[in-house]
Amino acid sequence: MAFLEIKNLRKRFGDNEVLKGIDFSMEKGEVISVIGSSGGGKTTFLRCLNFLEKADEGEFFIENTLLFDAKALYTDTEIREKRLSFGLVFQSFHLFPQYTTLQNVLIPLNLRTFEREGVKRLPFRKRRVAKAEITERNRQKAMEILKSVGLESKINEYPCHLSGGQCQRVAIARALALSPSILCFDEPTSALDPELTGEVLRVIKELKNEGRTMIIVTHEMEFARFVSDRVVFMADGVIEESGTPSEVFDNPKSPKTKAFLASYQESF
Amino acid sequence: MESYMSFSYITLLLLEGFGKTFLLFFLTLFFSLPLGLVVSFGSMSKIKPLQYVTRIFVWIIRGTPLMLQLFVVFYVPGILFDVQLFNGVNGRFTAALVAFVINYACYFSEIYRGGIEGIPHGQYEAGQVLGMTKPEIFFRVILMQVVKRILAPISNEVITLVKDTSLARVIAVAEIFYQNENYILSKGVVWPLFYIGVFFLIFVGGLTLLFNYLEKKLSYYRV
Ligand SMILES: Nc1ncnc2c1ncn2[C@@H]1O[C@H](COP(=O)(O)OP(=O)(O)OP(=O)(O)O)[C@@H](O)[C@H]1O
Ligand SMILES: [Mg+2]
Repeated sequence: MAFLEIKNLRKRFGDNEVLKGIDFSMEKGEVISVIGSSGGGKTTFLRCLNFLEKADEGEFFIENTLLFDAKALYTDTEIREKRLSFGLVFQSFHLFPQYTTLQNVLIPLNLRTFEREGVKRLPFRKRRVAKAEITERNRQKAMEILKSVGLESKINEYPCHLSGGQCQRVAIARALALSPSILCFDEPTSALDPELTGEVLRVIKELKNEGRTMIIVTHEMEFARFVSDRVVFMADGVIEESGTPSEVFDNPKSPKTKAFLASYQESF
Repeated sequence: MESYMSFSYITLLLLEGFGKTFLLFFLTLFFSLPLGLVVSFGSMSKIKPLQYVTRIFVWIIRGTPLMLQLFVVFYVPGILFDVQLFNGVNGRFTAALVAFVINYACYFSEIYRGGIEGIPHGQYEAGQVLGMTKPEIFFRVILMQVVKRILAPISNEVITLVKDTSLARVIAVAEIFYQNENYILSKGVVWPLFYIGVFFLIFVGGLTLLFNYLEKKLSYYRV
């Protein structure tokens, strides 16, 4: 079995069946781009993976272990635990405006470390010491990650003073800090001015070089071709076609893929 | 008679009134600010009956005069159930406080609700995908943004409360106007009215400065 295995994922909103049985798998270190026309269910797919939507049917396996089964009932705590296998970078960043760059990365990381290391159960005094220690350790980690996305000079800035590209890099750093097994991006550059997309795409490229496992929903065809190991074309809630970038972009088999790519070329 | 009307005597009387006004003001805020949050949770509850009951209650309180509510709180328990909940001088004060707290909690709850519902859904989702618990999301992510959003409407409401305290006189709480009317105006002296005016101006002025300061403190970020 592959590193991540999704079987027969289905999701409907009322009468509208948005995901009609998605089978999806990827290897560790693989980068997969998901392309497709608007309303095809790409965002819904990522949201189901991150448990922001509850899948109606389907099973998720990571490294041969069942992570999620739509038939089972899970508590909030279990879901929270499970979603840490995934990270999600949103189209419009959703940074926490009241926190600095560093705090945006550090605070979620701290909360999870406190929980994992059982800080709450310590007596009050030890708790403070433990929190300080963990914070120091995490600060190092957060700083390293922020450096790797080129933001070490902005650690004390608030999001309102950052450009869109910088915000998105903070959002990526924030997701990376929790060390997800699979990092998902939902159109990470769609909310950016064209001249700012480059800096974000460069960061994603570097993450690929580091061997990160990533699923990238994107409308940047050039980038998808260049960064992906595999490209998945999604249409009307099913995976219509998938293959290497050159298979999908240069020799698409499905008529729907052909039509989509043709319409894309026309619009430029 | 002359001695009753002396500056120091009147000042003493008015100070007593100021004291009551202050006390009513601070105790009302002390109880209604947190209670309002509870009410706002009720009015946003996923449990529909609770939501409806809370919203109807808020609608009634906001839709009727505070003066009427003062009368109801003070007289109705005695008339309908023959219980004297609020006896004596302190009883009157307590009754006024209860009416004020309920009334202001409902006003605050609507402000809180507006503030909370105005937070973009993405903030919750960002918290969720980062593995935060619901309380963590509320206290670490949402609350500070709500505070910033509601500071201006809350400050308006607080300043209205300063002036609303004078309504307590309708159930004979010896706040500043009551003192003024019963002991002073009846003697045909007018200058204490200016005294009271100055008191309220200073009170409201101080609060305005305080809220401006808080707003500045929170202006380091934009939501
Ligand atoms: N919360 C929701 N409630 C109801 N319908 C929804 C909801 N979320 C998505 N949908 C519907 O699901 C369908 C797929 O939406 P989705 O956002 O997944 O598409 P997408 O492929 O990401 O499109 P785009 O390229 O425009 O982002 C759409 O028809 C949309 O209206
Ligand atoms: Mg989408």
